Amino acid sequence: MPMNAAAAAPSSGGDPAAGSVLLRMEGITKAFPGVVANDKISLELRAGEVLALVGENGAGKSTLMKILYGLYRPDSGEILVRDRTTRIAGPRDAISQGIGMVHQHFMLIPPFTVLENIVLGSETSRLGVLSYAKPRAAAAKLIELNNLHIDLGASVEHLPVGLQQQVEILKILYRGAEILIFDEPTAVLTPQESDELFKTFRQMRAQGKGIIFISHKLDEVLDIADRITVIRRGKVIRTLDRAEATKPLIAELMVGKPVILNVDNPRLPPGPAVLEVDKLGFVNAEGVAALRDVSFRVRSGEIYGIAGVEGNGQSELIRAIAYRTRISGGSVRLLGADLSGLDVRSRRELGLAHIPEDRHKFGLLLSFSLADNFILGSHYKKPFVSVLRTQVRRQIAENARRLIAQFDVRAPSEQTPAHALSGGNQQKVIIAREMSAKPRLLLANQPTRGVDVGATEFIYKQLVEAKKNGAAVLLVSADLDEVMSLSDRIGVMFKGSIIKEFERESATKEEVGFYMMGEKAR
Amino acid sequence: MKRFNRYALYEVMAPLVGFAASMALLMLIVVAVGENPGNAVDAIWKMTFATSTRTATVLSTSVPLFLAGLAVAFAFRANIFNIGVEGQYFIGGLVGAMAGIYVPLPAFLHIPFVVLAAMIGGALWAAIPAALKVGRGIHEVITTIMFNNIALALVNYLVNGPMSGLGATGSLEPQTRHILPTALFANIDWLFRAAGWNVPDSVYLDYSLPVAVLAGVLVWFILFRLRIGFDLRAVGTSTDVSLYAGIKVAKVQLGAFLFSGALAGLVGLQEIFAVRGYYTFQIASGLGFDGIAIALIGRNSPVGVAFAALLFAFLRQAGYGLQFFTKVPNSVISVITGLMILIIVVSNELVSRYIKALRKKEAM
Repeated sequence: MPMNAAAAAPSSGGDPAAGSVLLRMEGITKAFPGVVANDKISLELRAGEVLALVGENGAGKSTLMKILYGLYRPDSGEILVRDRTTRIAGPRDAISQGIGMVHQHFMLIPPFTVLENIVLGSETSRLGVLSYAKPRAAAAKLIELNNLHIDLGASVEHLPVGLQQQVEILKILYRGAEILIFDEPTAVLTPQESDELFKTFRQMRAQGKGIIFISHKLDEVLDIADRITVIRRGKVIRTLDRAEATKPLIAELMVGKPVILNVDNPRLPPGPAVLEVDKLGFVNAEGVAALRDVSFRVRSGEIYGIAGVEGNGQSELIRAIAYRTRISGGSVRLLGADLSGLDVRSRRELGLAHIPEDRHKFGLLLSFSLADNFILGSHYKKPFVSVLRTQVRRQIAENARRLIAQFDVRAPSEQTPAHALSGGNQQKVIIAREMSAKPRLLLANQPTRGVDVGATEFIYKQLVEAKKNGAAVLLVSADLDEVMSLSDRIGVMFKGSIIKEFERESATKEEVGFYMMGEKAR
Repeated sequence: MKRFNRYALYEVMAPLVGFAASMALLMLIVVAVGENPGNAVDAIWKMTFATSTRTATVLSTSVPLFLAGLAVAFAFRANIFNIGVEGQYFIGGLVGAMAGIYVPLPAFLHIPFVVLAAMIGGALWAAIPAALKVGRGIHEVITTIMFNNIALALVNYLVNGPMSGLGATGSLEPQTRHILPTALFANIDWLFRAAGWNVPDSVYLDYSLPVAVLAGVLVWFILFRLRIGFDLRAVGTSTDVSLYAGIKVAKVQLGAFLFSGALAGLVGLQEIFAVRGYYTFQIASGLGFDGIAIALIGRNSPVGVAFAALLFAFLRQAGYGLQFFTKVPNSVISVITGLMILIIVVSNELVSRYIKALRKKEAM
């Protein structure tokens, strides 16, 4: 309640006593047509703490943060910044209240320098001429204070992702943020870069800032958070102190039932090579060699995991196998057949199945029914078409009902459009479709991205199931834990090449992480 | 199932509410012009549904509008923005007329022959933009607009030059020779009379009406029953997903574009073969653009397009009514038509968002 409204001005910027409440959200409710995204959510953030916000996808974390940042207006409830009721109508208000947000997708202008990006929107000028002297000095001080490692003169487009994120942090610190929101900041980072980020967190925490940290990675949450707020279906389930929090407890609170993340994944005697990639090269439209001399084999009955920081050629590799006909050198063979001349349909006929990295962009026709999505890719074949090339509705519906039951897709009916489903269930639809084709080679590109713990476990089991059925599985994931726990063999990609292969038994997270950074490349 | 019907009800309600709102707006304008709203309603009624002649006229007017909307909608389904329906029906009509003027055939063959010729003409005129789109990635909006102008210039030249029928017909208006009687579209008012609807033969309810109905059914069947229709709608929804599923995106888009052109070729049939009996570059223009609005309101479904075409025909007649019987200028109808498109499209969108949210809730 705004009782002591006469207290110090919110933007005084002075060092607040550690532990004083920076931010309080009380009874925040936000309903969208038909869905209550936030249901009387209350939380508080103290000065000098990292508050982790965890919950499944669609639990309401992003909505809550968008309300805090002024992108949504709550239906009811109050936001108090330093005990003063505040109306946040837009990001501008949020920033003036000392609230800053590092988005999952960076809001930077690539050709601009770091300094230009930092002053963007709050430029200082004299007689209309931009002046950089003061901002430069201020930014340099912030860099020193916060364990950042950026060159203010570098253009952003040439910086690696980890440093771009630092630019984002610097940007909001420059605007005087005391409350910093991080929306899944480690999703794009290597373990080493994540460690650097957490060092910065600790520095900021020591300065009395409050950090809200959204993450799906429970290890990180336990590593850095002081308190952990668990949200499920739009409600705060519980806020835990670090001391009482354990991984199984958080996972259980998140999904409402205990989950086992350990999948029984036995090593099988490998069969013959299914996928053979030999000296594959690819030069993209910009003339950059996205793939260079990539060679590896994936055998029947094994999962081959590609570890690597995103953007090191993984997507290009998958595309070359999945559909691209033009390559710059080398060869890709599936069961002995050269893929370079084959269109997608022929590749699928050979036994290729594909769980694409972006299910909305590549995997599902969102406005189509589940039944239609289930037949995609085999929709031209019997039993889904008659001799007259008309569609056989009954078979299509039956197929859908069977897969919905078999893969435990939570949907009202097979006629429900795909967009109505949650992320995890959408992914299940894709996996059901691809698995039902009985693949010889399964490409799984970021198969658990943005899905909840329960669905993740299910997906892991399906990948292992495919391997047990004799398929060769090629797994690409930005989540190193995922690659480590599922793969029989691991290839590390760096700058378009596989620079190192590990057997499952001999791989350690640290070692793989070093190769991901390219540390041992030369 | 009950749920499903509720969604369908909402979807039907949206355009109706939009229509009612635009009519209310129209009445406001009528009052502002200083006319009695009662008179205006009466005038509209007189020109649209007062007599079976007027109602038949609305139906007749809707035929080319429906075909134009259908052509645009079919391309839309494959995510192709065919602005070129305009040019395609000028050329389609020309090729159809050539088949009607220069190729002597018995009537039972001649009618289907000219229909086919018109479709081929429309498809041919769509072929170059289609090839440029699929092969070179040149946006169809640009090329088809260009091709509309080229088509107009071409038919202007042909009708004034090589195909001129001035000497043969004795007309002072530039036009081709007369179409052979075997190819002319006869009235089918007898059919309506047999069904108990007393339609005068002065209204053009001719072979183009069953052609339009057949075209609508064919489009529905292709889109929702044939496998190629599934491909087409998949491509229209997401080329990326389609590509990953092994659908030949380029081929599908090429086919959809050509067939859209073929449908466009049918737009001019009524005027050329039933009303005029010859071809001229002065046949009604602008139908291609009406078709875009009609497809939009009709949500690219054959049934929706049919209702939207009837709505446009109604508005056109209503405009004449206001002009004849009140002091409200006809152009007010253009304003209202524009507003109505906007209101209906917005209410369609709002309803589909609402349904989306409801479905999401239901699935959770």
